[in-house]
Order: sequence, then structure tokens, then C-alpha cells
Amino acid sequence: MADNDAATSTAVAGERERRGFFGRILLFVRQVIDEMRKVVYPTRDELTSFTIAVLVFLAVIMAYVNGLDWMFTRAVSWVFGSG
Amino acid sequence: MLTSFGRAFRTPELRNKILFTLAIMALFRLGSHIPTPGISFDLVKKCQEAATGSGSLLGLANLFSGGALLQLSIFALGIMPYITASIIVQLLTVVIPRFEQLKKEGQSGQAKMTQYTRYLTIALALLQSSTLITAARNPSSILGGSPATCSTIMPDDSIPTILIMIITLTAATGLIMWLGEQVTERGIGNGMSLLILTAVAASVPQSIWAIRDQGWGKFLIVVVMGLAITTAVVFVENSQRRIPVQYAKRMIGRRSYGGTTTYIPLKVNMANVIPIIFATSLLSLPMLVAQFQGSSTNPPKWVEIINTYFARGDHPLYMAVYTVLIVFFTFFYVSITYQPDEVADNLKQAGSFIPGVRAGSSTAKYLSYVLNRITTVGAIYIAVLALIPLIALALVNANQNFPFGGASILILVGVGLETVKQVDSKLQQHNYEGFLR
Repeated sequence: MADNDAATSTAVAGERERRGFFGRILLFVRQVIDEMRKVVYPTRDELTSFTIAVLVFLAVIMAYVNGLDWMFTRAVSWVFGSG
Repeated sequence: MLTSFGRAFRTPELRNKILFTLAIMALFRLGSHIPTPGISFDLVKKCQEAATGSGSLLGLANLFSGGALLQLSIFALGIMPYITASIIVQLLTVVIPRFEQLKKEGQSGQAKMTQYTRYLTIALALLQSSTLITAARNPSSILGGSPATCSTIMPDDSIPTILIMIITLTAATGLIMWLGEQVTERGIGNGMSLLILTAVAASVPQSIWAIRDQGWGKFLIVVVMGLAITTAVVFVENSQRRIPVQYAKRMIGRRSYGGTTTYIPLKVNMANVIPIIFATSLLSLPMLVAQFQGSSTNPPKWVEIINTYFARGDHPLYMAVYTVLIVFFTFFYVSITYQPDEVADNLKQAGSFIPGVRAGSSTAKYLSYVLNRITTVGAIYIAVLALIPLIALALVNANQNFPFGGASILILVGVGLETVKQVDSKLQQHNYEGFLR
């Protein structure tokens, strides 16, 4: 488990003391980059299937809501309108 | 993935949930069309026709209510008071010790906080409905158009009628809150986000279609941008940092248990669309207040400031405040929902550990170390993602047709993904059950 260097988290406090303001920001940025390297990103397949699923879902929802709206607008103006 | 949608309808439990959610959405839309008692439907329509071209002044608030606000229907206030109330209560958990204590109490404290949120919602609804009705006595101020073509929308503006209107709007907001909670409990997805999705979905297609009038090129740009943002959101939502966890091996009798490895998934953006919803609704509040003041001939200074900087989504100052709010809410929300101490405790009780890190407080420290660094990227990413549509829409000059397009696209995609994922996981759960029995 080389990916879990506990040393970093314990050494942070000590190292922070020795650095100036900008040094600390630099350290933080370096740690952020370090962590981002360990992030597992979605594969191409996952990405496309999820994107398509979301687009289909949104298309269905929009069609449904706008269909309802069309109906309700008609119904409401029939009930409450005068002309 | 797509075939599983078909399968979703064949499993009765899931089908009921989906149908229930769809029914609630239909009720929500129905209420957005029924006019408030005391408001003349014909006069509102006439005013709206007279006001075409001047554009809706209440932009974002109207968008969030799915167009109900400017129709002055019974659901005019939409889900906004509920969102505002829940933001306030969540913020209070940090500030007020009593709320903090309630949060630590677990189940019963949570119930108490839900109760406070509901009370606050009603109070906010009362406030907002009174403002709205008062402003509606002079309809040209909120509907646009000139006072000549649109002098009144209330045939009878005596005190009892106005009181009835205020009570109706407040009660309707309570009903919306209840609908949202029902969806969370018995339907699919988070009720609050799903009702916003419904409201936004009602107005977005028209806005996108309206861009076509400015030429197919712009229309194409907006569509491509929508696709790119969808892909980006999916990408970020599916990225996670996996922290390895090792279960201790135990001998019970002659058999050994455990000794397996799993991981704790930490999503890069754990807060999902919540920061965007919070930031946009918080930014729309001053606008809403200013709008009701704006009709006077000599508005106060602060109304002018809000009108110049915050009434449009493309002013640099608006963008800056928006970004800061999104970053803030991302960290805030993650820190509220994810407790490293609790996770560390759970790990310890289950006899598991993160390799190379000691159990207990070092584990909690390590988790929050990773969490802070990952969320930094997540927050920046979400803020950038929220800004891209704002800038792009301003560049192609499609802003007047598609105000706050950025927020609406992100809400659509974010809530969409969340819901799709939940359906998917419910489906998997169900199939596994079917497998085992």
C-alpha cells in the first residue's frame, strides 16, 4: 500500500511550521495534485453510457412536463378564461 | 444502462416509485397553473401579452417557480422558501450551539431540525407572499409593460380578499414542501431537487428554442455546450478517490472471517448540485426584494446597486460572488454531510483499518486530510463549470433569451444524473435480491 503514505499526514504539521505563507500554499497545492493522481476516473464506456442515460432521462422529463403544461394551460383557460 | 430503463418498469416496487414521482410532478405543475383566488386570469393574460418584449423582470425567481410566479398562480412561490429555509437552518448548525447539539443527537435531533425548517418555511412563505401580493396591486411593476395597458389584475383589492390570497399562497407553499418530502420518502431522488428540476424543465425547452430565432449557428453552439457540460458533470461525479480498507482476520471457532480488502469511496465532488442550487437561490433573494421596491420612482440606493450588478447573470461582479458562494457551499455542505470522526469510529468498531494509518483519531485526521484536498478541486471544478455557460451565453449574445442558462443547465444535468444513478442502484439492489432468493 504505497499509496497510503501515512507519513505525509503526520509530517504535515511539522513541515507547515517551517514554511512561510506562500510556502504553505505551495505545499497545499502540491498535496492536492498528489491526491488527484490517486483519484480513479471513469472509463470511456462509463462516461458515454451515463451521459446518454442522463440525456435520455432529461428528454423524457422535459417532454412529460411540457406535455402536462400544454394540457393544463388549455384546461385552465377553459375553466377560468372568458373568451 | 438503457435496457435497464425498460427493466425498471418491470419490477413492481420500482415502477410504483417512478409512477408516484411522476404523479407528484404532475400535481406540482397543475398547481402552477391554477390562478390564486382574487386574481383575474383574463387580466393577467392581457398584462402578459402587453408585456411581451420587455422580458420578465423577476428572471431567476420566475425560472425556479417554473413560470408560476408571473402567472400569480397558487404555487407562485414554488419551492424557493423551502430551499431558503433549509439553507438557513443548515447554516445555523454552525453558529448556534443548540442546533449543533441537535445535529449530534442523531435521529431525534434531525427530526427536530426538520420541524424547525418547516416552521421557517411557513414564515418565509408568509413574508414573500405578502410582498408579492402587495406588489401585485400595481401589476406593471412585476409583470412589465406600461401602467396604461396593465392597470390592475385584482378586481377586488379589499383587505379580506388580500388576506385570503396571502393565506392561499402560504398554504400552497406548505403543500409544495409536503410534496417534496413525499418524493424523498416514497419516490425517487431528492424531492427538493426533483421539484426544481420540474420547474426548470418547464421553461428551458422554450428558452432554447427561442435562441433559434437568432440563427441556427447560435442554437447549435448552445446545444453543443449543453452536451459538453453534461459530459463534464458526469465525469466529475464519477471520479472518486478510493481509500483502501483492510478488514482484520478473525477466527471464530475453526473458521476465519474477514481479512478482505475494500475501499472507502470519496467522491471528488461530494456535494453534487446542492452548492449551485444554494448559491443561485441565495443570489436571487436580493433581486426578489429589490424588484418589489423597483417600481417606485425614486428607489433607495441599495435597490439601484442590486439592479445594476445582480439583475443579470453576466455581470463580472455577479460571477465573482457566484463563484465564491459555490466554493463556500461546497466545503460547507461536505463538512456537514461527511464526518471523518464518525467514519473512523465505524471502521474501528468493524475491526478494519486503513493500511499504514493508526485507528481512531489518526484515521479521522487522515480522512479529513484527503477530503479537504479532493474537495478543493471539486469546488473549483463546479465553480468553473457554473461559469462556462454564463460566459458562453454572454459571448453568443443569447443571454436575453436564456437568462441564467448556466444554473438551469447545471441543475438539469446534476439532478438528472443523481436520479438516474438512484434508479440504477435500486435496480441492482432488486436484481441481487431476486438472485439470492
